[in-house]
Order: sequence, then structure tokens, then C-alpha cells
Amino acid sequence: MSTLRERSPVAYALAGPVTLWMAAALVAPTLFIVWVSLWTTRTFSTANPLGVVNYVRFFHRPAYVKVLADTVEQALLLMAITGLVGYGIAYFLAVKVERPGVRLALFLAFVIPFWTSALIRTIAWIPFLGVGGVINTALLALRVVDRPVEAFLFSRAGITLAQVSFYTLLAAGPVVYTLRNIPRSLREAAHCLKASPLRVFWRIVLPLTLPGIVIGQILVFLNVMADFATAQAIGGHKLAYLGNLVIMLYESGQLPFASVIAVLLMACMLAGVAVLLKVVDVRRLGAP
Amino acid sequence: MIGWRTRQRVVKVALGALTLGFLAYQWMPILTMGLLSFTGPDGGTTFPMRGVSLHWYRELLRVQSVDDFKPPMARSLALALACSLTTAVFAVAAAQAMRARFRGSGAFFYLVLLGVMAPGLLVGFGIALITRVLGIPLAWYSTTFAVHLVWTLPFGFLTMLAVFNRFDRRLEEAGLTLGASRLTTFRRITLPLVLPGVIGSALFGFTLSFDEFARSFFSTGSEQTLPLVIYAQFDRQLQPTLYALGTLTTVVSLLAVGSAIALLRGSARRTLTTRP
Repeated sequence: MSTLRERSPVAYALAGPVTLWMAAALVAPTLFIVWVSLWTTRTFSTANPLGVVNYVRFFHRPAYVKVLADTVEQALLLMAITGLVGYGIAYFLAVKVERPGVRLALFLAFVIPFWTSALIRTIAWIPFLGVGGVINTALLALRVVDRPVEAFLFSRAGITLAQVSFYTLLAAGPVVYTLRNIPRSLREAAHCLKASPLRVFWRIVLPLTLPGIVIGQILVFLNVMADFATAQAIGGHKLAYLGNLVIMLYESGQLPFASVIAVLLMACMLAGVAVLLKVVDVRRLGAP
Repeated sequence: MIGWRTRQRVVKVALGALTLGFLAYQWMPILTMGLLSFTGPDGGTTFPMRGVSLHWYRELLRVQSVDDFKPPMARSLALALACSLTTAVFAVAAAQAMRARFRGSGAFFYLVLLGVMAPGLLVGFGIALITRVLGIPLAWYSTTFAVHLVWTLPFGFLTMLAVFNRFDRRLEEAGLTLGASRLTTFRRITLPLVLPGVIGSALFGFTLSFDEFARSFFSTGSEQTLPLVIYAQFDRQLQPTLYALGTLTTVVSLLAVGSAIALLRGSARRTLTTRP
């Protein structure tokens, strides 16, 4: 029993405005992009004849296809790095730290930057990466290099360094959750039955945390695919991902072509999520 | 062969080093920016610091005309406030509706969560296209507000679902059994008990909207919000004023999220102690 009867009409009245808002500000605009991408002339009008001419144009330009490949490659690279680092951190926080207070403090230090501005965090990386930046100063002082490395700012390496610091949390968070849900008795039982610690991890802990890993990987994949600000700020105008391409084409007034890029980006994101969900039934997450 | 105890300790130390190393890596740029924002008037955007001063903060307040950040700051604050209030109201409504398990609540759940999954830049892009066809002008208080709420609402919604999940239903039942109407029970029993969660949702909504950039990019008209103004600075020579601004906004976000977490934790502890 609660303050609302089961299937009460009031529930529809409460859910209605939210549904309408999501439909008008999220679903309709997204579907509209698909429609615009099929417009065959540059004039912005719903009277446009429909066709796939802009899609054909995209795939005939190797430079554009390369941007698509670069974007997917960057996402896969980030998934690999944040997956490994994130699992290690999650395992430490959820299993190895015994004092609840210490665990909470470390966990908060880990998640709080997520709630601050990503843009500001990107700016904060710039003094680190430049020729006179902190990393180069440190490398010079330690005599690892004898000349400043120019490759950090305006490069893939710099973008990757910054993105790892932004997105590792997304990979680790769901793993922390699944690790905390594994009953201690399960591991103890395996140890009693003389399984080696490595075997316990491999046969029990890892399979049980798989849903968390997959959700984390989905979050990292979606965020890196859609990230354009890091590339813009750290990569300068030398590097572009699909998001940057949408902006460039929008600013030059090629709206249907910009929509084609947007649709391809969304299609890649959906395909990636579909593949990842094949790995594991995420709906089982939360079940013991 | 080394004993299992030693091996476990080695794993613990290695993972602990990884975690602490990552935390340093994650916080170092933010703290460096904070430190460099206090550099002297001759200081630049990197080390070494030239003296310590509040020069760049004063500069922020002084600058007029094009680089004046105060109007965008006011817009961002107003927008974040509107988003936080709307998020709180909608999140409670949506979570209450979910508790009644209405027909289609499964689809409704995914519809709301779609707001987190959808790429922000493209949602804004879609809004810019559709409003162009419909002849609606872009503005921070209308179109930007619409797409920000799509982003902030799911977080409030999930927070409220979690709060209702550990909520002691017997207190509501007691109210209803004693003859209070459902509305009175909600107003006098349910709402006061979940209030910390509601305020938490509002604060999350505030900081998420205040810092949001990708969704604002295409959806905001000529009157820009703070993140857009900051972004426009990227193409110019960086100045420590940007660090001062970054430090200020980070402090605002940290205060909002810190209070939200404190509230939610405090209420969790109270709920646990009232249980037998």
C-alpha cells in the first residue's frame, strides 16, 4: 500500500508531463535529424525531395570516412585503458579497503570531479601538456628527455591523457556496485574447496562482475564517441572526431550533410551498445 | 613459493598505488588551475608562478564589454536554478508514478533514462533544426532549458527511485490506516521523509545544468551561457582570468554536490536508525 493505488489514474497524470517533455525535447528532435539527413538540396525546407545522396557523398570522401574510423578507434582505445585501470580501482575500493570511512573518502575523491565542469577540467589540462608545461618540466628535471616533448598538446596523446582522467570513473562505478553485491560467503566457499585465489577471481568474481564491466564500457563508449570538446581544446583544429565534423558542417551551413554525420554517429553508438549488450543480459544486474 | 598472505598483500599494495596514483592524476590539473589562478599580475598560464595575488579575480570583476562574464554567469545561474526546481518536481512525480506501477511504466523508465544516453551535442543539434523549421527562436531560457532538463531529470529520477526503494512503507500505511486521505498522507508523511532526497535531486540538477556545455552548444541563441563563453576563449590566447573563472565555477559545483551528498547520507542514516 502506498499513497498511490496500483495503476491509479493519478499515476498517468504524474508521468504525463515528463513523457511529453522527453518526447518533445529528446525523441522528436532526434528523429527530425534523420529526416533532415535525407534532404537532397542545401535549402532548408521540409519540401525537400528525399534521397540518400548525402550518405553516398560521405562514403566517397576518404577524409570523412577516416574521421569515422578515428572516432571509433579512439573510443576502443579509451574502453581498453579505462576498463583495465577502472577495474583495478574498483577492486581496490570494493574489496581491498576494509575501513568503511576510508572507502567512502576514497570513493568520493574518485567520483566528485564528475560533477564539476568537463570544460573547466579540459582547460585545467592545458598547463600540463604544453612545451613549458608541468609534464615536460618534470621529464626534463628527471632527465628522462633532454628536449621538451611537443607531442602532448595538439595531439592524440594529449587528448587520450585528458579523456582517461575524465572517463575512468564511468568504467569503474558500475564494477564497484557489482563487486559489493557478491556475497563474501561465495568466495569463502570457493577457498574452502581449495580453489587458488586466481582461480576464484577467474571463475567466480569476474563472471559475477561482468554486467558491471559491460555497463561501464557502454558509458565510456558513448561518452568518447560523442566527445568533441576535448578534441577541440587540446587537439586544436588539427584533429577532428565526428562531433567536430557536425559543428564544422553546421557552421558552413551544410545542414543536411551535418545531419548525415549526426545520424552516422548515432548509428555507431546504437550498434556499439547492441554489441556490448549481447555479451551479457544487463537486466540481471542487481539480482544476487 | 610465496605464501598466499604475502601475495594478497602485494595485490593490495599494487592496486592501492594504482588508485592513489589515479586520484592524483585526476585532481592534479584541477588543483594546479586553482593554484595558478592566484599568480601575480605578470604571471602566465603555466609555471613558474610569479608571486601570489588576487589580481586575476579582480580582473574578472573589472572587465567590461566583450569579455564581460557577468551576464553569462547570471544566465547560467538562473538556468541552473530553473532546472534544479523543475528536476525536483518532475523527479518526485515520475518516481511516485513508477511506484504505482502503471501500464507502460517499463517503457517510461527507459524513456527517461534515454536522456542520459543520448549524445548531448546531437540533442542540441536536433532542437536547433526542429525549431528552425517551426520558426521558434533559440534562447537560453526556452530551448536550452528544454534540453538541459532532459539531461538533469534522469539523475533526479534515479535518486528518487533509490530514496523510495529504502523508504519505510509502513509509515505511509500507518497514516492511511489511521484515516488520513492519500493526499494528506503524501503531504504530511511521505514528502517530509523523502525531502532530503528531493533537495539532493535539485542540487544535482543545479550543478549538471550549470556546467552543461554540449547540450547548450547548438540550442542557445545569441545570449550565451557561461560554458559557451568559456569555450569561445579557447581560440584566443589563454589568460589566468580563465583559471580564476574555472576555479570559481568549480567551487560552486563542489558546494552543490557536497551538500547533496551530505543530505542523502544523513537521510540514509536516519532511515536506518528508525527501523527496528
